[in-house]
Amino acid sequence: MDKDKKSVLEARKISKVYGKKANRFVALKDIDLKIERGESVAIIGKSGSGKTTLMHILALLDSPTTGEMVVGGEKSTKLKKAKLGRLRNREFGFVFQQFFMNPNDSVLNNVMLPLKIAGISAREQKRRAMEALKAVELEEKAKNKANDLSGGQKQRVCIARALVNNPKVIFADEPTGNLDSQTGDKVEKLLSKLNKEQGITLVVVTHDEDLARRCNRQIYLKDGQIIRDERKKKTGGAR
Amino acid sequence: MKFFDVLKMANANLLRNKVRAGLTILAIFVGSFTIILNSGINYGVNRYVDSQLEAAGGEGYLEIMKMESMSDMIQMGGMGSGGPTEYDPDGGSGVQPITEDDLQIIRETPGIIAESVRVFRMVNVEYIQSLENDKRFNLSISQWPSDTLNVAMASGRMVDNNSEEFQIVLAPEFAEALGYTEESVVGETVVLAVALLPATRPVQVKRVEATVVGVQQQSMVGMGRSFVNEALNDALYDASLSALPEELRPDTNFFAMAEYDTSMSEEEVQAMRDRLSEHGLQAMSIRDQVGMMMTFFDAITIVLMIFGGIALLAASIGIVNTLFMAVQERTREIGLMKAMGLSSGKIFLMFSTEAILLGFWGSVVGIGLAFVARGVGNHLAAQTFLSGLPGFTLIEFNPTMLVVITLVIMAIAFVAGTAPARRAAKQDPIDALRYE
Repeated sequence: MDKDKKSVLEARKISKVYGKKANRFVALKDIDLKIERGESVAIIGKSGSGKTTLMHILALLDSPTTGEMVVGGEKSTKLKKAKLGRLRNREFGFVFQQFFMNPNDSVLNNVMLPLKIAGISAREQKRRAMEALKAVELEEKAKNKANDLSGGQKQRVCIARALVNNPKVIFADEPTGNLDSQTGDKVEKLLSKLNKEQGITLVVVTHDEDLARRCNRQIYLKDGQIIRDERKKKTGGAR
Repeated sequence: MKFFDVLKMANANLLRNKVRAGLTILAIFVGSFTIILNSGINYGVNRYVDSQLEAAGGEGYLEIMKMESMSDMIQMGGMGSGGPTEYDPDGGSGVQPITEDDLQIIRETPGIIAESVRVFRMVNVEYIQSLENDKRFNLSISQWPSDTLNVAMASGRMVDNNSEEFQIVLAPEFAEALGYTEESVVGETVVLAVALLPATRPVQVKRVEATVVGVQQQSMVGMGRSFVNEALNDALYDASLSALPEELRPDTNFFAMAEYDTSMSEEEVQAMRDRLSEHGLQAMSIRDQVGMMMTFFDAITIVLMIFGGIALLAASIGIVNTLFMAVQERTREIGLMKAMGLSSGKIFLMFSTEAILLGFWGSVVGIGLAFVARGVGNHLAAQTFLSGLPGFTLIEFNPTMLVVITLVIMAIAFVAGTAPARRAAKQDPIDALRYE
């Protein structure tokens, strides 16, 4: 099978420049990157290396200064804003270090948010949200206030929220950054389980070597450039 | 995103900061309550006046005064803006007596029923007295103007202008004062006394006996006057002048009465009025007279409504403030929802809905408390200044009006919400997610 056909995300000669003249700062420089379906990719680098910017561009949240993104065979620069939004809503899931939940709302409502945005019927919203909560083993917390959960539980709710739309790709920005090692471990296992069992492509931004090792591909970033791109022999094989 | 979900989220977001939302709603309530209550009073009064006018009839009845224009009537009261008018010995401004020539012009005006035209002689009665005792009471009378008018009767019937008998219909409070009941006074004879001209001290009077044919009910059109028929009015008028030689008798006929053909079209009625106007004869129907009063009342209502509007304006600044704070607080949430694919339009809709909801609740609270005020206000009014006017509910709500007011307030709230909603919609998801 042709490799290009399998790639879900492709970055072509992407650069990102902030500021002008004296304040000019190059965050990303000529990045070429293909992410294949079912891969789990860790983007590793120190803070300021451009790893979060890269993830934002890959997730179509941000647009590159030069170069282009290709998603499912379509060039993102050709897509209109509304189409980009729909694409993110249907194909991508997001997990953030700071969770970004509505703390006063119920767990269920938080998980249903992407489905509400998609305009799905209330009944279906509930059914699929409960399914997603079951996948992260938190279905009994559905009615609880999001704020009453522990940090690890919160991040699992966020994973459920990322999962609820049956996305092709889940982007996780430092998913264990705010967790102690034990709960962090549980979240890591959950993410790699989703990758292996459901074939969801995983893109994780981290500076945590432990988390990076669980992925079958490690991309090391330094000063806006890829300095190393290591892949284990078989996709989805390791561990 | 479905609109119902937008609505639910907007409502939940409002409830997140109940105190803030509550205070904003309270500010809107001040304006909405003022406006709703005012419109309620205006509606109540107008409805009563309309029902009274309907009951009063008077279709085709006109009262005619001679003056250059309606504004002369205001100048007559010294309220004119043009300053003092120079004196003219022949009389050139203000209200002038109606002459026989004027009556002829009125009679010849197309549409006027010639035989209905007559002067309206004003007579001042010194007192009324029953034959049974010595008690005398001040009384104001009018000649019963026209059979086209109706006044509700408590007993008996209205005076008959075609009768030669001296007839009087009493205002409601006089039956008892004179020592009768409303029923027993009918058919009794009373004495009316008029002062003789020229005026002297003590007043010299001439007494005329009249038969009570009925007692009228308290009403707005009746205005507490007693009505006499033409024969009695003329007798009283002649009596008051009886001590003056013919040539000294003053010309005090300031009003004429006429009826017109009610089958005429509106244009024809206007043409008739215009023709009278050309000769300095200003015709007023009952509706015109009440209309002048109501214009004044409406003006007061409008001023109070404007105060309500100013309160709403202040409240809408409150909405802007509340929503800007909400946008600030929810920056990251907005970023997250945008990252998850929510369009800018929907974000705008969500915050706009929040603003509209504030307006909606503000006017609902206003309506609720206006209903409470209606209950209390009507109760108090009925016991005090409206006690003599049965069927007059001071505050009355028109459902259409309430809906319109609510919609207008919601529209104002929407406009107020556009600036914060636009700021929310314009946010870049990346910046919003990075926002601490």
